[in-house]
Amino acid sequence: MSRQSESTVLFDALGPKGRRNSNIASIISAVVILGALAYAASVLASEGFFEASRWANPLDKLVVETTWIPSILATLRAFALGSILALILGVIFGFGRISRFRLTRWAAAGYVQFFRSLPLVLLIWISFTIDGHFGFTTDVLGWTNEARRLTFLVLGLGIYNGAVLAEILRAGVAALPPGQAMAGHAIGLSHGQVQRLVVLPQVLRNMLPAVLAQLVILLKDTSLGYVITYPELLHSAKIIGNDYGNSFLQALVIAALIYFVLAYVLSKLVVLAERRLRRKTAAPAKAVQQIETAVVAE
Amino acid sequence: MFDNFDLMVAALGAGAWTTVWVTLVSFAIALVIGMVLVVMHVSPAWPARWAANAYTQLFRNVPLLAVLFILFFGLPQVGIKADNWVWALLGLGMYTGAFVGETLRSGINSIPLGQAEAARAIGLTFSQSLRSIILPQSIRVVIPPLGSLLIALVKNSALVLAIGVTELTAQARRLIEDNESRFDLWGVIIGVTVSYLLIAFVLSYLVRIAEKRTAFVR
Repeated sequence: MSRQSESTVLFDALGPKGRRNSNIASIISAVVILGALAYAASVLASEGFFEASRWANPLDKLVVETTWIPSILATLRAFALGSILALILGVIFGFGRISRFRLTRWAAAGYVQFFRSLPLVLLIWISFTIDGHFGFTTDVLGWTNEARRLTFLVLGLGIYNGAVLAEILRAGVAALPPGQAMAGHAIGLSHGQVQRLVVLPQVLRNMLPAVLAQLVILLKDTSLGYVITYPELLHSAKIIGNDYGNSFLQALVIAALIYFVLAYVLSKLVVLAERRLRRKTAAPAKAVQQIETAVVAE
Repeated sequence: MFDNFDLMVAALGAGAWTTVWVTLVSFAIALVIGMVLVVMHVSPAWPARWAANAYTQLFRNVPLLAVLFILFFGLPQVGIKADNWVWALLGLGMYTGAFVGETLRSGINSIPLGQAEAARAIGLTFSQSLRSIILPQSIRVVIPPLGSLLIALVKNSALVLAIGVTELTAQARRLIEDNESRFDLWGVIIGVTVSYLLIAFVLSYLVRIAEKRTAFVR
């Protein structure tokens, strides 16, 4: 978009003096940044952060097989199930918000506003805690401990992100010029046909990057399973850290790196989707971009 | 109405107060970090741009809870120690700072190219055109997205319960889990929910005022 041209126009017409100044600035900033990194590394090294044994212990073959890999799978399982639930709820309530019926609109707006204002940790904890209260319990289902925790983590992730996705879809509909729906009506399509054939395809195309960006956030949020001791990545990293007392920081850093790789790969998909799908609809690209930056904050 | 109503209100009130000040202080930290990042982002020095990019990518792709754990549980191992609330403020601030930086950058990008060209044309330097032409205009553009970042920070601040800061969610948990049936579960759930809704409502009202105050006609 205008990003590159914008950030270069501020200093594009550099003369020889300007170029020299900018080179000096580059060198100085490089020195400052490298210096800071080197200082941090030296502090870490003096405390034995880089000692081989501290990294080898938490990456022992047995630990990898019995803890790291199962916990990555547990994280991905929560992510997959949570995304599916969030997408279903998001479509239901997103289109509920633009329904022709006032009551449906109100109910959907209430759902979105309510669940968007509560912290996800709180939702997960509440859903986990009310199990066994108020005359309702999942004990009779004979679930394993892990299945029970996974269920409530997925419920929390799905309900919360469903509200966010509903808001994204609604914003996507709002960003579409009203002339699109009007034109649909004008050529004799019914309301349902207009939504299905004219509005929905464009909204999905516009909003796919924002939806995927929200799924990256959902992936990171699976770490909140920690509060209900679901054996996901971060939880396991802490257990490994406790087992190998002086590898605590190393275990956490390894977990953070794994999260980084997973989320980075997913966000690269977002960029790919962005490139493919942008500018194929009637919605102004700027409006779409604004929605994205507003949403990514969450 | 509920069991031990006054005790519950006192506990949740204390938690709500912690949530509010943790949110506001860490947002101030995030604003400072975001400003530094955005200046690095648009600067002509490529190492600065590269470092700002690395910082942003790092915090966008690592869960906030992992950041807090590394700060609070991990750093003491290499001899860096501080109280849990210090790490709570720093962790939230550093994490949100990356998003503030991105928001400010998209604000700068939303200023028409001609403004920057005109600034250069009348002979302003890079820092002058940034300071007196670009930034004052982009501040106004970014207030709504910064507002939603602030609201998101209220929710994210609940995560500091994992490093032992008793904010609102932690108080609710404490009331239920540490006091066998002395408090009514429904009462606590309603109380904590209403508190969060109230905080979000008041903050978004303040954001709307800020929007109106800074609104201008272009």
